[in-house]
Amino acid sequence: MKRQALAFARSQNLTLAVIIVLGVVLLGVTSGGGFFSPVSVRTFFQFLAVPILIGLAQMITVAVGQLNLAIGSIGGFAACLAGVMMADLGVPAVLGVVVTLVVGAVAGFINGWLVVATRINGFIVTLATMTILSGAQYAIVSTRTISSTNWAPIADLGKATVGGIPVVFILAIVVAVLVSLAFNHTVGGRRLLASGDNSHAAALSGISNDRSVIIAHAASGLLCGVAAFISLASLSGVNTSVGGDWLLPSFAAPIIGGVALTGGTVAILGTTLAATVVRLVDSARAEFQLAPAWVNFVIGAVVLGTVALGRAREVRDSRRAGAARAKAPQTTGPTSPGQAPTGAAS
Amino acid sequence: MTEFALEAVGVSKSFPGVKALDNVSLRLAPGEVHALLGENGAGKSTLIKILTGAHTSDTGTISLSGVVSDISSPSAAMAAGIGVVHQERNVIRGFTVGENIVMSRMPRRGPRVDWTAVRSEARRCLAMLDLDIDPDTPMAALSSAQTQLVEIARGLYTETKVLLLDEPTASISGNESDRLFRVVARLKQEGAAILFVSHKLEEVFAHCDTVTVLRDGKSILQSEPLSAHSRDEIVDIMVGRSLASLEVPTRSVDRSAPPVLELEHVNTTAGHHDVSLDLRAGEVLGLYGLVGAGRTELARAILGLERITTGTLSVHGSTASIKSVRQALQKYRIGYVTENRKEEGVFLEQSITRNIAVTVWSNLEKAFGFVSGKKERALVDSYVRDLDIRISSQDQLAGQLSGGNQQKVSLAKWLAAQTQILIIDEPTVGIDVRTKRSFYDLIWKLADDGLAILLISSDLAEMVTLADRIVVMDRFAITGEVDNTHDYDTMSQAVIRLIHAELPVS
Repeated sequence: MKRQALAFARSQNLTLAVIIVLGVVLLGVTSGGGFFSPVSVRTFFQFLAVPILIGLAQMITVAVGQLNLAIGSIGGFAACLAGVMMADLGVPAVLGVVVTLVVGAVAGFINGWLVVATRINGFIVTLATMTILSGAQYAIVSTRTISSTNWAPIADLGKATVGGIPVVFILAIVVAVLVSLAFNHTVGGRRLLASGDNSHAAALSGISNDRSVIIAHAASGLLCGVAAFISLASLSGVNTSVGGDWLLPSFAAPIIGGVALTGGTVAILGTTLAATVVRLVDSARAEFQLAPAWVNFVIGAVVLGTVALGRAREVRDSRRAGAARAKAPQTTGPTSPGQAPTGAAS
Repeated sequence: MTEFALEAVGVSKSFPGVKALDNVSLRLAPGEVHALLGENGAGKSTLIKILTGAHTSDTGTISLSGVVSDISSPSAAMAAGIGVVHQERNVIRGFTVGENIVMSRMPRRGPRVDWTAVRSEARRCLAMLDLDIDPDTPMAALSSAQTQLVEIARGLYTETKVLLLDEPTASISGNESDRLFRVVARLKQEGAAILFVSHKLEEVFAHCDTVTVLRDGKSILQSEPLSAHSRDEIVDIMVGRSLASLEVPTRSVDRSAPPVLELEHVNTTAGHHDVSLDLRAGEVLGLYGLVGAGRTELARAILGLERITTGTLSVHGSTASIKSVRQALQKYRIGYVTENRKEEGVFLEQSITRNIAVTVWSNLEKAFGFVSGKKERALVDSYVRDLDIRISSQDQLAGQLSGGNQQKVSLAKWLAAQTQILIIDEPTVGIDVRTKRSFYDLIWKLADDGLAILLISSDLAEMVTLADRIVVMDRFAITGEVDNTHDYDTMSQAVIRLIHAELPVS
């Protein structure tokens, strides 16, 4: 337990938690307590669900050393397709939910399969599928906005709360817990991380890196599908703009949350906290009636700052490793216990 | 007939431009420790990779206990009972020690990882090596020797009939090697067949029963009892008499001249410790050491890619503080011919002209940043002629040339830049013997023309042929220096003794 507490303190999680507390207090004071009203709290959490889910979706691809530029267009297309089917074809709401999830997972699977089958860089593959899917999204809804009255049961779920907390937010947290369990405690999840950390070593241990890439993209797409479902539940209607602004926050959450872009790490709590910070910035914009561009500016700057900080840490660590090596011959050779930072020497 | 635990017959493997293995055969009997020897690049690692399914052979068969087996992937090799300790560190740094050890076959309960079993299995493997490392320790927290020991523990995890050890002792000291050899002795008694790759001949003669020697991808000595050969014979077979006794021109270096490059008690951010050496005009100074000894890193420090923390670097007698490769070239006239020819040495998709003239464009500039094409071609032509680079035209792309010619292109650009000090890192890796010879002639010619050359090589025969003096480096420190007599037997002994010398205590 002590080790876990220490790890928490060292990670970005503590910093993020402090920022969240300060931000909440600041918004609470400046709004004269209005920020803590039940409606305000409900709205805050309701619109936190999607940022958490798309952050996790991106994190999963980053964990295997990939990335997914198509996050927004997978979600947008899935939401619009299900919306059109429910509104125009009279498809029942339950089936509409299934459509969002299946479309998401299949689109993600195709991304992964294309990367593996063509050996084309994932950046290009997802850039292409992003463009194709947003084109498809426009083709099915055109300039319409399809009202959520067409899927009343789903919209009702979006309004439902348990103890003042929206059900959709609870759903996002459940997904986060499942993702955490998968990466930390299942063989499949550990394999994804092994592939992302050192694909060469993973291959020599009998792990299929191709499989890891496909699974990660499919899981990422599935989470976009969940985000699409929550969009249907939370928004008053869907149109071509759904998913259009997901890309930056999807990268911001895992990067600020402490996930290495080189792959091999996940930070579920960090990603969730970072998504909350991003949501707070958005709330502050609404509170102070700032231009939406301001949010992008702040998030962009924070992402850049986080990455720069991580790079500085890397340089410092490699310097330390060199210094340790330089000292080693003076003592008892390169295997002296003093060189192992944890003191776990033989 | 004994039934062999593993029998490879007629194995060949080609990579673009190189025949890595040529009709190699190998027999491993149960209960024997078999040494696989050869110089760097002889094909040992390629053979290991084929036996473990990381590569597939072009021709040849592999039988296990008399049955022809298709080892098409690492998991197939594991399933067939082949365990391996790889030469490179193949660990997942983000995982714990325990998880790394059991990764090839995770203990599981349904889809879940059985963490209790991970710990107990890892502890069992570590205990075989008498290691007291907590399986929950993060891998990244271990020293390099501990990492290597964990790598060995991984090879012990699954029940193995055949255990392949690819230079497991390269980065660990005697005390730790003993842990390994105790386990090897035990596995041998239990009837396992063990293949042992090492450059340390003392270990080979102390622990091995049979031997196979590879040279230039061919098995020169095939599964013979080790006791039938003396150590000197084995070295001769490894190196190949013909190459070791290459005719060496008589060269004279003016030792009284002041050094053009001098390092005094240098420590670096890469981890070098108290490194001193000097290099004179017209001299070829060899910097020998095993892989990971810190030689390339020293070159990087001279070029300003690593910081010198204490000690001084002097060029032409005055203290130099080099901050970048650009400064090293333009102010101090130091060039570096990289060991990674394809990645760092040439622009594969660019013409020969551009590859060679890249260092001197600023000198060829006419006006407004335009380069004089005529002067550029004339200059490149002169180097193509001098270095005997075989090209069809200057417009040919560097990627279309053979390895040897690419290496010459990589070298030519530094000559074009009028360098006075040239650091040449592993110049003949992956180059055939005849081209090697012409490359040696070229290096001597450059030295005779007054260039100061620091030659980095892991190829001992090459070192003994080329260098005027040999400095030996181990674990980021200089362990000694010898004048080269070009006599392979005495030199190899002297150099190998220096590699395993105790580091000076300061």
